[in-house]
Amino acid sequence: MQFRLEKRREPSQAMVYATPVAAVVLTMVVGAILFSLIGYDGVGAVREIFLTPLTNSFKWQDLGVKAAPLIIIGTGLSIAYRANVWNIGAEGQYIMGGLAATWVALATYGMTGWWILPLMLVAGVLGGAAYAAIPALLKTRLNVNEILTSLMLTYASVQLIYYLVRAPWKDPMGMGFPQTRIFSEAARLPTIIPTTIVHLGVPIAIVVALVAWFVMSRSVFGYQMKVVGAAPHAARYGGFSENKTIWLALLVSGGLAGMAGMLEVAGPFQRMVPGFPTNYGFTAIIVAFLGRLNPLGVIFAGIVMAITFVGGEVAQTSIGLSNSATGVFQAMMLFFLLAGDILIRYRIRRVAPQAAGVAP
Amino acid sequence: MSTDLIIAVIITVVGASTPILIAALGELVVERAGVLNLGVEGMMLVGAITAFVIVFVTGNHYLAILMAAAAGVATSLIFGFLTLSLSANQTATGLALTIFGTGLSALAGQGYSAKPVTLLGPLFPGLAADPFWRVLFGYSALVYFALFMVVAIWYFLKRTRAGLILRAVGENDLSAHSIGYSVIGVRYMAVMFGGAMAGIAGACFPLLLTPQWAERMTAGRGWIAVALVVFASWRPFRLLAGAYLFGLVMTMELYAKAGGGPLSAIPSELWAALPYLATVVVLVLISIRRDASTNAPACLGKPFLPSN
Repeated sequence: MQFRLEKRREPSQAMVYATPVAAVVLTMVVGAILFSLIGYDGVGAVREIFLTPLTNSFKWQDLGVKAAPLIIIGTGLSIAYRANVWNIGAEGQYIMGGLAATWVALATYGMTGWWILPLMLVAGVLGGAAYAAIPALLKTRLNVNEILTSLMLTYASVQLIYYLVRAPWKDPMGMGFPQTRIFSEAARLPTIIPTTIVHLGVPIAIVVALVAWFVMSRSVFGYQMKVVGAAPHAARYGGFSENKTIWLALLVSGGLAGMAGMLEVAGPFQRMVPGFPTNYGFTAIIVAFLGRLNPLGVIFAGIVMAITFVGGEVAQTSIGLSNSATGVFQAMMLFFLLAGDILIRYRIRRVAPQAAGVAP
Repeated sequence: MSTDLIIAVIITVVGASTPILIAALGELVVERAGVLNLGVEGMMLVGAITAFVIVFVTGNHYLAILMAAAAGVATSLIFGFLTLSLSANQTATGLALTIFGTGLSALAGQGYSAKPVTLLGPLFPGLAADPFWRVLFGYSALVYFALFMVVAIWYFLKRTRAGLILRAVGENDLSAHSIGYSVIGVRYMAVMFGGAMAGIAGACFPLLLTPQWAERMTAGRGWIAVALVVFASWRPFRLLAGAYLFGLVMTMELYAKAGGGPLSAIPSELWAALPYLATVVVLVLISIRRDASTNAPACLGKPFLPSN
């Protein structure tokens, strides 16, 4: 029996939606086999990582809190990738957003007022967008590859946190720990459901994704991003500026990453610590792809990724599986998704051996 | 500065540059064949943990290097299968490979983090003991391997028929295909070579630099290697110069952290950020010089899709 790939006349819409689901299912199956082969309880690992966070209602609040930054950053990245702008430094823009918000929180320390949190949010967005402006400037002016610059700036921003919390921003009462003081009440994100850790960032994430979906599917801006990404030559004839698109893509994705940074530092962290970079910016790359570069899909992908994060922690305590297993599962999911992409453009045909050589 | 100090600095620079040089040489060949593999960092980490475990268990450094190369090839085949056989997006697949390699190496390295191994000794122990000649002959085999590969890859690309075919596949895949060369086959070979080199580059970390295993111990050096290929305009000898330049920057960080002298007045975090900032500056400088982008292989990063 032989299989052959045959080009579809037009891309299959069904496959666009089916492949992400298939990728998740395949990851669970292959993951269970693979982890069994290397001596772990494979089925247990998959159950703890993918199912326990869903069946255990105590874990739902964790899911929301973990999914929020992934959805916000993933939404921004999905817009940028649509335009074929490869911002992979969202982690750095997230860090700069968090630092800018921290700066506001420390400058207003001890003050009260409803305006502090919005000011922090603006600072966070501007911080992230400003950091993404560097690759944008270098790309549009000098044609420097944005993949490399945005990533290198991420490594540099991590060092900036270390410096700030070690010296100028260090908590004077912190017993020498390299961290800032806890923000005052007015600079902390309120929880929206009493007795849980679910903070204001969770509904904000959903709103961000819905607004982005509306803008991308209904506005000239969205059309411009998609056309420049899919057909740069046609876009040029159509009068869309490629440079403007690059700027917009990086500013929007950087600004949203910065927003997520603000929500994280004002929500779960409530202070700046060296452990602030938690790889949300990198995981959001997978979220954007798994969500098919569509903000609505990003909501679901963000939740799936949050499940693996929460489940990874569950598996760590319950069956002693290393936290890094989560990364392996997440990468596998992206591999299966990318492999499945071929089914959008091609179909698999079974061919009888004797007919194999005959041209159609 | 005394001669001794200068020699010590040179030896540190050469050591720090070697993994970047080896990884970048591999990526150079891959990109010359028209493929952009952004998974170098991930393959390096897989190579690093493989080398560490082998040397920890057997104590045989050369076996460790060999197995690291094999592990790099195996990892690169995931990338090759997805991008070459299934024509998946190369940028996304490369990123996924780095995430995968980071996770896999951390998982495999669980429980090895506090265990010591020995570094690979110098290739010529007699000359390595000489206070002066060690500057030329005091290095381990990995350093000479890197230098040999600079010349070998230059010769291969410039002077051999196979090198010409590889470049043709990278410059114009459709023509190469129509003359009858297997574009996908050549690219598979290039990707596997890049994987082997990235694996060996990863092995440099536990065998040449710090005799231990730490999660993410390559610390972005794989990405710097990718940037260096652009910096070098896809030419092996420029890669050599670029890698040693970065080695110098990283060595300055080490000396600043060790304390003393004017270097320590600058915050240590700035020194740690310097290699990355230097990469950005170098990329800017190279684009100002204009010929950089025109030198890129014409088919770089594009899937091979013959009309059928």
